[in-house]
Amino acid sequence: MLHLAEQEDVGAQARPSGDQAPTIVEIAALTKKFESVLAVDELSFRIRENEFVSIVGPSGCGKSTLLRMISGLVTTTSGTIRVRGEVVSRPIQDVGMVFQSPVLLPWRTTLGNILFVAEMRGLSARHYRERAQTLMETAGLGGFENSYPYELSGGMQQRVAICRALLLDPSIILMDEPFGALDIITRERMAFELQRIWSSSRNTVLFVTHSISEAVLLSDTVIVMTDRPGRISEIVEIDLPRPRDTDTLTAHRFIELSATVRSNITVGWGD
Amino acid sequence: MQHVASWAKPLLFLVGLIAVWQYGISFTSVPSYVLPLPSDIFARFVDTFAVQLHHLGFTAMTTLIGLTIALGFGVLLALLVIYVPAIKGIVLPFLAAFNGIPKIAIAPLFIIWFGLGIESKILLAFLLALFPIFVNSLSGLGEIETDMLDLSKLSGGSAFRIFFKVRLMNALPYIADALKVAFPLALVGSIVGEFIGGNRGIGYLILSAQFTMDTALVFAALLSITVFTSLGIGAVALFERLFLKWRPSRRSR
Repeated sequence: MLHLAEQEDVGAQARPSGDQAPTIVEIAALTKKFESVLAVDELSFRIRENEFVSIVGPSGCGKSTLLRMISGLVTTTSGTIRVRGEVVSRPIQDVGMVFQSPVLLPWRTTLGNILFVAEMRGLSARHYRERAQTLMETAGLGGFENSYPYELSGGMQQRVAICRALLLDPSIILMDEPFGALDIITRERMAFELQRIWSSSRNTVLFVTHSISEAVLLSDTVIVMTDRPGRISEIVEIDLPRPRDTDTLTAHRFIELSATVRSNITVGWGD
Repeated sequence: MQHVASWAKPLLFLVGLIAVWQYGISFTSVPSYVLPLPSDIFARFVDTFAVQLHHLGFTAMTTLIGLTIALGFGVLLALLVIYVPAIKGIVLPFLAAFNGIPKIAIAPLFIIWFGLGIESKILLAFLLALFPIFVNSLSGLGEIETDMLDLSKLSGGSAFRIFFKVRLMNALPYIADALKVAFPLALVGSIVGEFIGGNRGIGYLILSAQFTMDTALVFAALLSITVFTSLGIGAVALFERLFLKWRPSRRSR
């Protein structure tokens, strides 16, 4: 695990030398204020391409706001966000998003919901049908192409949402606590499913969660945020080998890393 | 009794009611011009079938035209309020206040303004149907989850595409519900217009029947109106069954 090269603000971060992967997202001194409430304070970090990055923090620490600012849905108060070198000022186009609730259109079938993003972009749905089928198979939704959302369980609906986010093969996928509404067993299973689906395409993923084990299991890097106003407490590199399975959950290194993440979240508690 | 079809019980009840009416009336001193026998009503209904159809056709036309205009206008107005939030504070209270005025009371004014012809009937039908359609359209078009709108924006969806593929589809069940209320209301509007002036329509027919104490014809006309209303609402229900299977209240478990 690498420590940050700390400067005045905890958010500044030094990437290890020798790292070759290009930067896809660059955050510099990012601040967001809602009326009088300071949500996030001077965040700075970089995300490398094809990386799975989790953002962990207590409720209200601004992690969802951070995600929405990166997507361009929410404006910044100060500081800059660059995606592929370009400053983000409005909703960026090459991104897939998964929310805590599946947000499927109830009048469309599974296939219809996945193809929705192509139609929104004005692309031919027929053109993407095959890719949608492949994604469905990979996600374990085979046979449910013509089912309506109300016929699917919460976990399955979320899988549809994930397929939808992947359809146009975006360079960045944003996930805002996608498994938050699921029970713990399904949640764990979905984490492994996600890893499996992700490992073939390896899009850059920004994954917000409040589950430490989920973050450590899935990610290459975990960004730990503090309570509001959200600042970066620590950036933890996860050097666990892939693919990760249920054995990983009991491995010594996993427990060590989880403990590190946890200690950085709980910094300042119980004073 | 569980194996009997759901429509059998009300039907049985209705038959019983008619039987009591037919055979019980002779034990009372109610005159036939107050409450005619079901057999008389039926005979009158058959007699005047062609005439009724002619007049009902006129009423149906004004009702449906008024309803269609209300549908278009209501949906467009709702869209306007959604995309221009500033006018919401004006439109909503104004419409609510206007809706509070009994149109039946304004109807004579419309006759003065627009005459005894078809226009005043259509206008009344339109005005009565407008409010439920507008209110429901506002809900259906406007109450979209923010996450869905965010997703559409991130997918590069134009306002046009978002309207057709998200808002309008979401609004369909709401509009269907509104139509079930607005259609009978539009019919009332048309009929009231006919009561006040004019020489055509089922309302006019009922009024003429009243003048000649032809109560059986009044009942026969009411029966026609009931059938017409049921057909209309049935059409909406059919539409729902065919195209809106997915709405939460319609799911079979």
